[in-house]
Amino acid sequence: MNRILVIEDDKALCTELAILLKNSGYEVVCITKFQDILQQMLQANANLILLDINLPEVNGEILLQDFRKSSDIPVIMLTSRTSELDEVLSMSYGADDYITKPYHPTILLLRISAVLKRYAKLSPVQNYHDIQVSTVKGSLIKNNSEQILTKNEMIIFQLLLDNQGRIVTRNELMTALWDNDEFINDNALSVNISRLRSKLAEFGLPDAIETRKKQGYILT
Amino acid sequence: MSVLDFLKDRLMIYFIYACTGVLLLIFMLAFRISLQTIVILNIIILFAVIVIELWEFFRRKNYYGKLKACLNELDKKYLISEMIESPNFYDGQILFEALQESNKSMCEHIAEYRHRNIEFREYIELWVHEIKLPVASLQLMCHNDNNLKYAEQLRRIDDDIENVLYYARSENAEKDYIIKEVSVKRVFADIAIKNREELQQRNVNLKTENLDVNIMTDSKWLAYILGQLMGNSMKYFSPEREPEIVISIDDLQNQQILHFRDNGIGIPETDLPYIFEKSFTGENGRMYAKSTGMGLYIIKKLCDKLGHCILAESEQDKFTEIIIIFGKNNFLKF
Repeated sequence: MNRILVIEDDKALCTELAILLKNSGYEVVCITKFQDILQQMLQANANLILLDINLPEVNGEILLQDFRKSSDIPVIMLTSRTSELDEVLSMSYGADDYITKPYHPTILLLRISAVLKRYAKLSPVQNYHDIQVSTVKGSLIKNNSEQILTKNEMIIFQLLLDNQGRIVTRNELMTALWDNDEFINDNALSVNISRLRSKLAEFGLPDAIETRKKQGYILT
Repeated sequence: MSVLDFLKDRLMIYFIYACTGVLLLIFMLAFRISLQTIVILNIIILFAVIVIELWEFFRRKNYYGKLKACLNELDKKYLISEMIESPNFYDGQILFEALQESNKSMCEHIAEYRHRNIEFREYIELWVHEIKLPVASLQLMCHNDNNLKYAEQLRRIDDDIENVLYYARSENAEKDYIIKEVSVKRVFADIAIKNREELQQRNVNLKTENLDVNIMTDSKWLAYILGQLMGNSMKYFSPEREPEIVISIDDLQNQQILHFRDNGIGIPETDLPYIFEKSFTGENGRMYAKSTGMGLYIIKKLCDKLGHCILAESEQDKFTEIIIIFGKNNFLKF
């Protein structure tokens, strides 16, 4: 399980962020004492750090600069400042992404998983049961037979696969699709999912994607 | 400065001269001074007066002529006291000093206002950043509790906060933007996701064409502009058609042209020239939705600052299209 360190001095925000991340299947550690943050960052053994820029006593950008001298754990900057300058500074100090408050929760989750994926350096081929999933070719391969997935189907399947065993809401699926410039509507999502199901059924997995009423979908 | 006006101005002095002359003449005649002497004396005095008057006339004409010419050439007239030298006649010097002093006091006055203005703007920016914390917390709470009802209202609050921030930025001369290459696709996707709930509720058809280009602009400002345009489109959709928003980019050699088009109720022809003016609401603003007349005004100001050109085309009951023209410049790439 991926461990995320949250450095945010607004308590309410920090708590809610922790709930959001826990619900999405991450392990969350929040910093409560804002002395020696750098030490805590280095010792947290996290896979990813969410760092606020406006912290008591210290500026997140300077913290990041110091942190980068001894570690290359991915860092996403969170800030309520909306100036291009902060973004450019953060990125040049080695941030992996930069998100302004108030953030859209699903966008935040997408960015986190994107950064984690980039660092995990996943091979372009993943396995699901005995099916090979090739993101490069956009297809499913089983015993020399191949099923081509459309772009939408691939985005959906990829998200379900990344969150295997956890419910993925329609909302999350929609955000992922829209994030890839596929501005489809609710009906189109249902159509895509049923197509994906029938393609999986041809590989002998008709019940791979389960529907959880009013919650979403889960890949078993 | 004309001779006639100068003479008119000196009329009183000439009158005194004339009286003095007459008195002198009476005295000299009474003392039986020879006619020859009287004529010579009078000629000498007249000559002196003429020289004095000419000298007075020309040094004033010279000075005020310069002043006037200077004033005509200046586009900022209040700088005149910086441009002229002190005159070499006494009354002029008094006026010159008064002008200098008044100008100095005005500068101080303006500096004070400017300072207050900057302080106010800084406070607004600070406030916006402060208020965003609770908004962010609330938004996460809504998401965690799956409460869509409150989330919608929160989104509106957030939009209004953005308006304040960008209004403050558009009104001030400070350059708090960075122009760099921005992916329109990326910015537009973010805006679309932010507005997704509403777009889907209204079943809006979003179409993008050729967005996969980089343009030279400030990404935050562009995001704000596109967000505002989308908000406007959603306000004025026609109930008779299936709503549709098309955003496309023409990538030309020297410029890139962004088209943001919706098939809403359009703008009446008579209103079209004024839509970018401050507080202009027009027929649509009064009839359909609450409008403050600020959105497009702020957008226009931001575009002006970034050096983009913004235009609008519309046909009532058919479409509205906002066109933004971005310049291309290879020197700015980094």
